[in-house]
Amino acid sequence: MSAAPQVPLVALRGLTVAYGDDALALSAIDLDIRAGERLALIGESGSGKSTLALAVAGLLPASAKSAGTIVWGGAPPLGGRDIGFVFQNPAGSLDPVMAVGRQVAEVARTHLGLSWTDALARARDLFGRVGLPDPDTLVHAYPHQLSGGQKQRVTIAAAIAARPKLLIADEATSALDTIVQAEIVALIRRLVAEDGMTLLFVSHDIALAAELADRIAVLRNGKLLELGSTRQVIGRPQDPYTQSLVVAHISLDSPPLFAATTDIPVNG
Amino acid sequence: MAEHLLTVDGLAKRFRRGDSTVAAAEAISFHIDAAETLALAGPSGSGKSTVARLLLRLIEPDAGSVTFEGENWLALEGAPLRTHRAKMQMVFQDPLAAFNPRATVARVLDDPLRIHRIAPRAERPRRIAGLLERVGLSTDLAGRAVHEVSGGQRQRVAIARAIATKPSLIVLDEAVSALDVSVRGKILELLADLQRTDGIAYLFISHDLGLVRVFAHRVAILDGGRLAEQGDARAVIDAPQSAVGKALVAATPKLHGFTGQDAS
Repeated sequence: MSAAPQVPLVALRGLTVAYGDDALALSAIDLDIRAGERLALIGESGSGKSTLALAVAGLLPASAKSAGTIVWGGAPPLGGRDIGFVFQNPAGSLDPVMAVGRQVAEVARTHLGLSWTDALARARDLFGRVGLPDPDTLVHAYPHQLSGGQKQRVTIAAAIAARPKLLIADEATSALDTIVQAEIVALIRRLVAEDGMTLLFVSHDIALAAELADRIAVLRNGKLLELGSTRQVIGRPQDPYTQSLVVAHISLDSPPLFAATTDIPVNG
Repeated sequence: MAEHLLTVDGLAKRFRRGDSTVAAAEAISFHIDAAETLALAGPSGSGKSTVARLLLRLIEPDAGSVTFEGENWLALEGAPLRTHRAKMQMVFQDPLAAFNPRATVARVLDDPLRIHRIAPRAERPRRIAGLLERVGLSTDLAGRAVHEVSGGQRQRVAIARAIATKPSLIVLDEAVSALDVSVRGKILELLADLQRTDGIAYLFISHDLGLVRVFAHRVAILDGGRLAEQGDARAVIDAPQSAVGKALVAATPKLHGFTGQDAS
């Protein structure tokens, strides 16, 4: 651990969000996202983790009512340029009738002021960086010609195209199989390190979050229950709910569920 | 030699892609006994769902044979197929996609009882209440629309519908993958309990080896439409022999190193 001063990239104070007349999606959240850290937000359905990510990115729907403050350490960010966002479903983030290289180039053109030629060259470079095979050919492909993992690599390329300070990945690997998920997580880790980005990683998977994050924030029903280093939150969880999440995690060394089943009828 | 509940031998299916064909399943052979769980694991596109769809007769194979409850399963057509279908049920990842979204819970459970002539009309409300209780749901839920109930409750309704016809085999296609962990454990316990009491066999399709290891007796790992390896679930996952088996184990997220049990 470095002893460098922990400058918050963004500080949330009393952040409260409601959709319509329903219960609060987020309730008085105080949270600092430190510059350069990998912070995981974990929780189950309805915990508010995606709402928090959308609020930080300024992407809450117009119908959402919010209170509290979101204060940035430096100049206020511009969405798409200073914040890259990767969603769960890459197909939903991509235009089905535009070549994928052009979609990535568009981001570079808009935010970096590049010409189309330079922006397309940058898209080709980014395709190489995110591990897409044969970037020269693939920039001309359409989303339907790519696998799910390849589409997610394209959306990651688009998210980092304007060199954002903050990368937000909201369940970015949940729709992918285990092997592709591990590849994408390794890619995100590498890109964040190479570009000195801050990462906000939203996941329902506590083990996946633990493998990637420096710190973990646990949310439930719109409230922040626990926040600490990964080792602390996983190894010595203070909140009973966090403890239950750790216990409920099914890992490669969990005892079989049918242990009592097989013995009784076979011997009986 | 005792006959297995389900025997799959040399199953093959090719799909056309452009001007060539791709083997979605090739030379797939396995068996499942009564009250046993066989997991099909593998990456996306490995053929897991193709095998499930072939077994459910949603698509027809190019080659191979399937024997289910002693019948030549692939030769059944018309009324005999409909009769036997009651014995092989399915539960999918997203039950909402499998239900008429406007239907009530009672309607979802009434359909199989009516279609398979399991109970006369007058007796069905009592049967529906029994099914709801069996899967741990309040009978008050009967009048609710399926889109109104929680994801975990909906998956219990899907299980209730599957067991309504007293099946000997249920295909579980990523049936717990989308559920919150707190809910998922309880659904797996319910399924294990149904297996214990009713002797139901499961074909458990999942890409999550952690789940496979706790829930399945045996596992068959698929890769590119072919069987890479199969055997006792814990033996295979603890020491995979195939390249894809090793890759799946290595890619499974682990909490070790954080839980403090290894602290010295």
